[in-house]
Amino acid sequence: MIKISKLCKNFEGQEVLKGLDLQVNQGETLVIIGRSGCGKSVLLKHIIGILNPDSGQVQVDNQHVAALKGKDLVKLRMKFGMLFQGAALFDSLNVFENVGFALLEHTDLPEAEIRQRVKQALLSVDLLDIEEKKPAELSGGMKKRVGLARAICNNPEIMLYDEPTTGLDPIMSDMINDLIIRLKEKLKVTSIVVTHDMVSAYKVATRIAMLYDGKIIAQGTPEQIKNTTDPFVRQFITGAAQGPITDQRKLENGL
Amino acid sequence: MNAYLGVLKKRLSVSFEYVGGLTILLFRTIGWVFAPPYKRFQLFDQMKKNGVDSLSIVTLTAFFAGIVLALQSAYTMRQMSAEIYIASLVSLSMTRELGPVFTALVVAARVGASITAEVGTMKVTEQIDALETLATNPIKYLVVPRFLSLCIMLPLLTIIADAVGILGGYIIGVANLHISHHLYLKKTFDALVYKDVFTGLIKAFAFAAVISIVACYEGMRAKGGAEGVGKATTLSVVISCILVIALDCFFTALFYFVWR
Repeated sequence: MIKISKLCKNFEGQEVLKGLDLQVNQGETLVIIGRSGCGKSVLLKHIIGILNPDSGQVQVDNQHVAALKGKDLVKLRMKFGMLFQGAALFDSLNVFENVGFALLEHTDLPEAEIRQRVKQALLSVDLLDIEEKKPAELSGGMKKRVGLARAICNNPEIMLYDEPTTGLDPIMSDMINDLIIRLKEKLKVTSIVVTHDMVSAYKVATRIAMLYDGKIIAQGTPEQIKNTTDPFVRQFITGAAQGPITDQRKLENGL
Repeated sequence: MNAYLGVLKKRLSVSFEYVGGLTILLFRTIGWVFAPPYKRFQLFDQMKKNGVDSLSIVTLTAFFAGIVLALQSAYTMRQMSAEIYIASLVSLSMTRELGPVFTALVVAARVGASITAEVGTMKVTEQIDALETLATNPIKYLVVPRFLSLCIMLPLLTIIADAVGILGGYIIGVANLHISHHLYLKKTFDALVYKDVFTGLIKAFAFAAVISIVACYEGMRAKGGAEGVGKATTLSVVISCILVIALDCFFTALFYFVWR
């Protein structure tokens, strides 16, 4: 279980997270929605310990992430798999080395076994015989799927998805959504998906939370979010150009 | 007046912060050098990219430096009929100063820029974050092999640059100034003592540490896409070159006053 309490973070004086509270239960798929730049990716990076909070805390399985160092931090991170917005594949390595990275770096498994695990991970994302290709030779959708294969290769307990469908065509986006659902059912992982793609959010979520102004302002099942009367959430999910979110932005900018 | 003091204070604070950042990265890197696992393949790969592949440009630069040094000194030495001292002058200048400094400047421009561009691109495309999520320390994985490879290869390149520079001076001395082949070589080796070569190598080692740490530090600080990587790369080369010259000044003074 992941528990986030009173999480605050600011970058060069700009407050991004302002006392955020959130809980993610084991086995659920929580989708965090919100406008671009509202701090969704920052939140994910706090959960996996890449960023440390200014105040507040993140607990994963009752461990304070920011307090972990050395081997304990490595052990915690091995529980996670993360898919980055741009896939973040290592340019200098081929697909096999990318997908099997954690196994090659942190285990003494024989190469034949790692090759087998990499093959299985690639098969899970519907890719075959591309182990020797470099990331530059792959399309956007293939990169995302290889990124997903890398994230699942060491059998994580928690999956973090940062904008998994951004930059993909609708068909490829739906394929990625199906993969997220399939991985959840097959591997029984806890998933946190950050997105502003509402089609994707409704499809993969067991619960949706909306991040606005550094805090979670609403959360519920996809049905509850769809039928919400909260004007901020309504403007976001309907994608209306006029509403309280844009009015507040105009006020802040003095327009 | 207060405004000027304020600007000065801010600039000093930024400079101290920068030097502090470099120092922390240097100590962390040294700490990770001794931490297993030891990735020999990565180290050899970096030694090839940063050292072996720089050989041609370093050799060419040192060769021309040797020629220019011999020709320029001949201009003055001729007036005193002291051409024979060109051999000693070239050998001492190359081993103590020009060999290490020219090699370091060439490597700072070629390798330093390449390291910053590569690490910077990894930073802005979240590849460094990805390394961390895969439970891999970016300093151990990225900085240590580059740091070690330069610390090994730059002194080796410097030895080659010294030799090639002396060869450049020899060609001018023998072919153009008609100094006898045996006399030129004798004067060259008579003038050289181990200390000359050794002090040059100490400098080369220090330059290697500075170039690799500055290049990695700038790369890891890069932000804002391609433009940010470009800025970081320029800054890395400029700062490395300035620090190489400043360190050279420091070591020359140190060896002059302390180790005569």
